[in-house]
Amino acid sequence: MHSTELLKGTLQTIILKILADHGRMYGYEITQRVKELSGGTILLTEGALYPTLHKMEAEGFLQTETQNIGKRVRKYYTLTAEGSSVVAEKVNEFIAFIKTMSTVLNVAIA
Amino acid sequence: MLLTADHIDYIIKDVQYRGIVAEGVGDELIDHICSATEAEMQKGLRFLDAYHTVLRSFGQTSGLRDTQKQVLLCYHSTAKNMIKNYFTIAIRNLKKHRFYTFINVAGLATGVAACMIIVLFVLSELSFDKHHEKANRIYRVNSEIKFGETHYKLAQCSAPLVNDMLQEFPEVEAGVRFRSRGSYLVKKNDAAENIKEENVIWTDSSFFQVFTVPLLQGNANKALSEPKTVCISKKVSDKFFPNNDALGQTLILDNNYTVKITGVFDNMPESSHFNFDILISLTDMDEAQSPSHLSNNFNTYLLLHEGSDAVALESKFPAFVKKYVGPQAALAVGEGFSMEKFIASGNKFEYTLIPLLDIHLHSDLGGDFAGNGNITYVYLFSAIALFILVIACINFMNLSTARSSNRAKEVGVRKVMGSLRPHLVGQFLSESVLISLFSFLLALMIAYISLPVFNMLSQKNLSLPWSSPLFYGILLTAAFAIGLLAGLYPSFFLSAFKPINVLKGNLSLGMKSGAVRSSLVVFQFVISIFLIIGTLTIYRQLNYIQNKKIGFEKDQVIVIHDVYALNKTAQAFKEDVLKNSSIESGTLSGFLPVRSASSWRNDNTYWPEGVPLTDETMIGLQTWSVDYDYIKTLGIKLKEGRFLSPDFLSDSTALVINESAAKRFGFMPNPIGKKIVGYTDNLPNGAPDPASLRGRTVVGVVEDFHFESLKENITPLAFFLEKNYGSAAFRFQAKHTQDVIQSIEASWKKLAPTQPFSYSFLDEDFASMYKNEQRLGETFGVFAALAIIIACLGLFALTAFTAEQRTKEIGIRKVLGASVSSIVLLLSKEFGKLIFIAFVLAAPLAWYAIQWWLKDYTYKVEIGVLVYVFAGVFAFMVAWLTMGYQSIKAARSNPVKSLRSE
Repeated sequence: MHSTELLKGTLQTIILKILADHGRMYGYEITQRVKELSGGTILLTEGALYPTLHKMEAEGFLQTETQNIGKRVRKYYTLTAEGSSVVAEKVNEFIAFIKTMSTVLNVAIA
Repeated sequence: MLLTADHIDYIIKDVQYRGIVAEGVGDELIDHICSATEAEMQKGLRFLDAYHTVLRSFGQTSGLRDTQKQVLLCYHSTAKNMIKNYFTIAIRNLKKHRFYTFINVAGLATGVAACMIIVLFVLSELSFDKHHEKANRIYRVNSEIKFGETHYKLAQCSAPLVNDMLQEFPEVEAGVRFRSRGSYLVKKNDAAENIKEENVIWTDSSFFQVFTVPLLQGNANKALSEPKTVCISKKVSDKFFPNNDALGQTLILDNNYTVKITGVFDNMPESSHFNFDILISLTDMDEAQSPSHLSNNFNTYLLLHEGSDAVALESKFPAFVKKYVGPQAALAVGEGFSMEKFIASGNKFEYTLIPLLDIHLHSDLGGDFAGNGNITYVYLFSAIALFILVIACINFMNLSTARSSNRAKEVGVRKVMGSLRPHLVGQFLSESVLISLFSFLLALMIAYISLPVFNMLSQKNLSLPWSSPLFYGILLTAAFAIGLLAGLYPSFFLSAFKPINVLKGNLSLGMKSGAVRSSLVVFQFVISIFLIIGTLTIYRQLNYIQNKKIGFEKDQVIVIHDVYALNKTAQAFKEDVLKNSSIESGTLSGFLPVRSASSWRNDNTYWPEGVPLTDETMIGLQTWSVDYDYIKTLGIKLKEGRFLSPDFLSDSTALVINESAAKRFGFMPNPIGKKIVGYTDNLPNGAPDPASLRGRTVVGVVEDFHFESLKENITPLAFFLEKNYGSAAFRFQAKHTQDVIQSIEASWKKLAPTQPFSYSFLDEDFASMYKNEQRLGETFGVFAALAIIIACLGLFALTAFTAEQRTKEIGIRKVLGASVSSIVLLLSKEFGKLIFIAFVLAAPLAWYAIQWWLKDYTYKVEIGVLVYVFAGVFAFMVAWLTMGYQSIKAARSNPVKSLRSE
């Protein structure tokens, strides 16, 4: 399990990349996908995920559509054109960050 | 699907119970929880266990709520959403309190509309003569002449002044003179019918050089430079020459003066202090070539060179007067006269300059072109506009703060839910801005609808500048500014509440802010009472003037204009008209005691025969040319002697004077038979011709009567027996008015079928002399009424609110035996006190203002205490009526209803 403190700065990047890879997803699906990809070491808390999703929507990176499933209403998120355009940039930025961190901490990444 | 519909219902209810209600967030979280629960159930857990495992992972209720709060916070931190939210809530709030919203909007809209109209009026008054390109270099020469008790302040000066000044002062680039000879009858060369033209002026050819009046046809440098040439406006050109071929054609003025058209100019704009349709070249007028500096008949304008100092130029005028006027005056008065002595003994002969741009609002002199405005009115109306706006804004503020106690709970709940102060301020400000915007929209409509009425009242031609982006910009800015200003106090006041106090119910703020509110109400009513007193005074003064014994009988006299058009048949016309038995008498004369376009009277200097001519003994005397029936027709009373009569052949050298003249000449107590003398002609050098000295004998004295506006004193006056056909007046019997008009017109058509027939009634002409005051009174009245209505609207809402606040108290009082009247008294006492205070403050203010306004009038009405008392009582009555309805409604309500609820 990684600490939530570490996750905070990367959440947007994670969401952007996952949505870029998988297209349309809803909140729970995103948490599950992240859990699966990280082998269970990254658990997105709802308290962090949803505010970020809403913030990104307000900023214009994401768009939403709702779908009624029986009695439930499911809200799907997809990238907007603007969102898609920043995915690569965000991921590169993060890789650069990790590289910097590895030099700073003087460790080699496996 | 492992979850059944029942499971989902359970989850939805439970989550909502835990406080997850926000739109957009709730559904999403529920879906998330459902999905997670399903996942757990797939691991083999029962529904409830699965659900609680999921909840635990969320952090139970507090975790859920935290998530919701985080989402909402991120949502609200974007300005667009927040403003949308503010406005949604604002609209809901305004809708919920329709009554107060209505009062606010109605008051503000009326106020703003009134303001808008007044601003248009003021702007149009301030824009006069700005269209002249050289406007700030153009000055008019005014003259002031005072000797003995004769005192003239004129917008005119002498004929040779312009040329002499051009020679004397290098600062003067050009000059132009105007000489009015009243209206003219105009016809085309080949036409039979005359058309009357009112706006005719004689002027110099430099007119086009000094003023910016574009010539559409003709050459500005040559037009008017030759005798018997005219320039006409587009309007007149279209009237006489619809084919647009006016240039070079001829017109005939007054049936005998043939002129050639050398130019057609664009119609002069309304915002010009003169408005002429026909300009006649002065080169053909003898008077214009006269070298006499002693008669002042020309409106004279000077164009100064760029960079010249008008004040410095003015300081050279006394030397100019000494050099040019002195010698002529010495010749006129005789040996021993010197300008120094003349001035030293308290007399005056002065020229001054007034800037062209100041003329419309600041000039009110003899010989001014008609239609000047008055800077006082501009100030007065601006003040009223401001008052009305302030009253409307006060309403808004008062209502908002008064209702604060109702909203205190809302504020408390909002704060507990996490609202910060800026949020609340934003909320309240957006409410007030919304009201303001809406009011402005409504105000635009009101202004559009009521502008024609105002135009009628003020005789202006104002319109809303729909096409100007600046107009909308200003409106929008003003709407925001007023919304923010009016909302600022309430919003800060309300948002400062401590939630704990408010929610505990410790704060009854509605009553606490009473001091501010009371003083604002007092302020509103000070203004209202002030305006009531002002309006009453203006009305009373006008009534006083119009009904004052003016010394002649103005009713039932019909005035026929332009009788000179009949020429030699005028006498026959009079006799023909008199055949009608409904007409009692008639007179042909040069002047009637009202101002009109076509009138001839002279101002000349006379002195008693046998005394030396000094500036003490010479008297400025108006002389009117009249016939035998003048005083009979106008109902002027004879005091002594007799009027001019056909029985005395010597009456051609006799005269009848008024009492003022008799006193000034020192003829009392036995004026009959005394003689006065005066010059009747000038030498070519401008000095009076000693050979033209003529004497006349006084045969009668008439009682003083008013022939000028009552702002002025009665001046010495004399009647000469002379043929003059300026206008005819007939006294007739009231019941036959229609018949009289028809018969007179028939006589006219018989003698002069080609001349236009026009008439008026003497009393109406007389009333029109007070047109300005009348208009002022009416306009003032309308706006004063508006101010009072808006103030009362506020009071109405405030009482309604107080009554609402005190429902419980009233209920308990009634249960304990209070009567309806005691409750009504209780409710109105509070405001009654305020109005009394307002009255005490307003009365001295009004008194002071009235003294200031009336100081212009020689004859003023006594403003008794009664006017003040009436204004006070009226304000109180109106206020009480507004309050009364609410009070009685509250007092009569069934106490059970108010006490049972809550």
